[in-house]
Amino acid sequence: MDTSSPAVFVNAEILKMYLGRRVRAVIQVMRNDAGVIVGQSTDGNQITVKGAQAFPPAHFVEVIGIADGSQSIRAEICTDFGESFDMTAYNGLCQLANGKFKNLFL
Amino acid sequence: MAAVDLTRGAIAAISEGRVKDGVKPVVQVWEVKLVNTQQSTTERYRMLLSDGAHMQQAMLATQMNGLVKLGTLQKHSIVRLDEFICNVIQNRRIIIIINLEVLVSNSNAIGEPKLYDNGSASQNRVPSPAQSTSADQPVIAAENPQNYGGIHSSTPNIVQNVTRGPSLSPATEAVTTNSSFAGYYGNGVMSSRNTNSVPSEHPKSEQGVGRISESHPNSGYQNQRLSSPASVGAFRPPASSYGHPVQPAYQQPPPMYTNRGPIAKNEAPARIIPIAALNPYQGRWTIKARVTTKGELRRYSNPRGEGKVFSFDLLDSDGGEIRVTCFNMVADQFYDQIEVGKVYLISKGSLKPARKSFNHLNNEYEIFLESQSVIQPCSEEDNTIPRQQFNFRPVNEVEGLENNSMVDVIGIVVSINPSASITRKNGTETNKQTLQLKDMSGRSVEVTFWGNFCSTEGQQLQRMCDSGVYPVLAIKAGRVSDFSGKSIGTIGSSQLFINPDFPEAHRLKDWYNREGKNMSALSISRDTTTMSRNDVVRKTLSQIKDEGLGRSEKPDWITVKATITFVKVDNFCYTACPLMVGDRPCNKKVNNNGDGTWHCDRCDQSFPECDYRYLLQFQIQDHTGMTWVTAFQEGGEEILGVTAKELYLLKYQEQDDLKFAEIIRRVLFHQHLFKLKVKEETFSDEQRVKSTIVKAEKVNPSSESRYLLGLIEKLLTEDPIVVSGMQTFASTSGMSTVAYGMVESNNSVHSVTNNFGINNSQLGKHENEYGGNSRHVFSRNEVQAFCSSCGSTSHTFHNCPRVNVRDKVLPHQHMEVVVHQEDTTGNMSSLLLYQLLCLVAHQCRPIRNVGYSGLMMLSAHMTVYKAHLDIHSTS
Repeated sequence: MDTSSPAVFVNAEILKMYLGRRVRAVIQVMRNDAGVIVGQSTDGNQITVKGAQAFPPAHFVEVIGIADGSQSIRAEICTDFGESFDMTAYNGLCQLANGKFKNLFL
Repeated sequence: MAAVDLTRGAIAAISEGRVKDGVKPVVQVWEVKLVNTQQSTTERYRMLLSDGAHMQQAMLATQMNGLVKLGTLQKHSIVRLDEFICNVIQNRRIIIIINLEVLVSNSNAIGEPKLYDNGSASQNRVPSPAQSTSADQPVIAAENPQNYGGIHSSTPNIVQNVTRGPSLSPATEAVTTNSSFAGYYGNGVMSSRNTNSVPSEHPKSEQGVGRISESHPNSGYQNQRLSSPASVGAFRPPASSYGHPVQPAYQQPPPMYTNRGPIAKNEAPARIIPIAALNPYQGRWTIKARVTTKGELRRYSNPRGEGKVFSFDLLDSDGGEIRVTCFNMVADQFYDQIEVGKVYLISKGSLKPARKSFNHLNNEYEIFLESQSVIQPCSEEDNTIPRQQFNFRPVNEVEGLENNSMVDVIGIVVSINPSASITRKNGTETNKQTLQLKDMSGRSVEVTFWGNFCSTEGQQLQRMCDSGVYPVLAIKAGRVSDFSGKSIGTIGSSQLFINPDFPEAHRLKDWYNREGKNMSALSISRDTTTMSRNDVVRKTLSQIKDEGLGRSEKPDWITVKATITFVKVDNFCYTACPLMVGDRPCNKKVNNNGDGTWHCDRCDQSFPECDYRYLLQFQIQDHTGMTWVTAFQEGGEEILGVTAKELYLLKYQEQDDLKFAEIIRRVLFHQHLFKLKVKEETFSDEQRVKSTIVKAEKVNPSSESRYLLGLIEKLLTEDPIVVSGMQTFASTSGMSTVAYGMVESNNSVHSVTNNFGINNSQLGKHENEYGGNSRHVFSRNEVQAFCSSCGSTSHTFHNCPRVNVRDKVLPHQHMEVVVHQEDTTGNMSSLLLYQLLCLVAHQCRPIRNVGYSGLMMLSAHMTVYKAHLDIHSTS
């Protein structure tokens, strides 16, 4: 199993810190354009996902890929999490995973 | 200080019943003595009243007792008699004072009064004594009745007086007197009909038995006007006694009818008396009052049988309040008739002493209605009767009140907390909501709403506060408690009024808008945000032992998050009695009669079919330890998902062991949130701490995540290295563990690594819960195992050379046979989240690059997870 580049749990804010790195984020789909998903991140800001198939709006999608812009991810894997998801808890996780407990995750 | 003059000839006039309606003579109290009656334990004060010329015996109504106790009313005080009657009891004349006002407390004796001649009470008399006495006394003539004018005699004074503060020992010695006249307001032994024959304007002496008391219909007593001595001789022919509407209360028919026979009892139209004047010795009475609260029709059963009861409270125009109670048939009869806010005329009830523990009104008596009682609605509105009577105390005074005393308060709601569900000591759950109430005294108090008040007024207040409005709240009959300083709580009969239309409310609002908002109020309640009994107390299993929970007198109620690891299948249920005792089933264990019927000892009956109730014992574990718990019917059903009866039948009748086993196995290794009651009990000389499951809930990942986030915060603000309470483990027999991914290890975190091991297995288990039906068994072979102590992959913990183990017991070794089931798909992602947070919460620091991928690794092995999340393996 390749553990060389674990994906960092990010939200829109933290995404900026990991440009070029593998990240994972959960977004709520706002709209789908051709091959691009625009969604809301767990901290309320917008994230664009490129190279992903379409997902139903208002669903939560986890995107794992490379961060290639301060607000965009180039998707490798997208998973539909369904319609109910606790954004606040995820956001808390992002904060913790990149803050005090970074060493647990990276 | 004797600037107040006594009413000349007052004593004579009163004794002869010549005092006019509305007249309030001023007299001096010549003496005050405490009387202990044999009939009741209430204290009565006997007094001698003097008008400077004559003296007369008098009895003081108990609601005035406070004045004597405080010393306001003492020997030589000058008082004004606002309401009084003159009775003849056993040939002695007694003035009964219902209401008086002390004009001068401390005074010198005025004159040398002589005891008024009682002997002349027997026959017709010429009313002249008043004049003669005035001749040689320096007493100044009765002043202008206008002095009395405008004073409404029966005021809410009554309300306050009865609750007057600590009792002082009466200055006068107790004197036992004839029990005959003590405690008599009204008719007692009455032979006086024939004796009080004094002709006068408005004779005031008391009546014979059976007489209805009268009063001015609407507004209590009129001011009495004392006839000037000069006109004493005049004799105004009285109008017909019964039909005369303006005759004051307790009035005898005028002398013309004196020598007639007994009064006809039943035809008299109602004469309304004030509630404050009600007493059991009164003959017929009628009160006109408004219903302020109405209770529910309650059923009860006591050794004498069953019954129903309901009560309602009345308020009349004088501010008097009294509770009325009806039982059984009478309750049925009147329950529908009574409506809150309406005015009724009530008569022919019986008066008994009030039960102070239930009745918090200011009256020593309660009315009990019988089938012959009469309740007549008043169709016209009576504005003199207030809708609700309050005795508001400012918040700073609440501090000085006794615990469990009742109080009315009004204030501005400055803050309110959301309602929470708490468990009472007997296990029942109820709602509780707290708020802070501030008033003009500058103090604030915590008010607690219980039960239904949370969902009604509580909600409303919350909405109002959330939207920035700070409403006025008035509370009637709140109970003061000395919990955390002084606070006020609601009881069943409390009443709440939001933004009421009272003058006090308006004043409060104005004050608040002007200054109150900015004033910081000192709270008389200590702010306790967490009260350990009431909020959910989350513990770990090891804490049960470490902290000695359950050892004190009362059981401890805690919540734990734990996993079921073993279920005892022998005796998982017992045969129970299905009969109802009261409103609950008996549930006692029944004995088999042998012939297919069952016999219950408590109900002493046999029946063919018994109930089956769960008595499950199982073992639960969390990351700290394990314990055995017992679940009863509700908990058992919740956990197993089938009723005890079904399971019983399955096992013993259908002998379907396979299915039975599956049901049991299905439940294993599921994590639940258990609410436990922990109590130490003695089993044949041995003290054991027993835990019972009161409630078993599935873990809601979302809320649990939040809880964990909070916990993490808390841990962060404490020492981040702290590894709290995670030391001990229990081992389950026959299982071996795989510990996942521990790279770095050092001694201090050794136990932490163990945690991680557990966590991962928990993780594994949870991952499995994501949808799908397949089984997964984690065995050593499937997963890459890391030695939990040195992290290399070549061996496991067992064989690790770097054994620096604290306890060799390998407590963290489990093999979890996980059987999962179709579930909670919506929550799966939350579950994932929850797991990650578990990780963090347990401070598994040295996970490094394995931690995360540990997850991935796990997931890689779960087809279900893979399918669901569509993770194309990362390796």
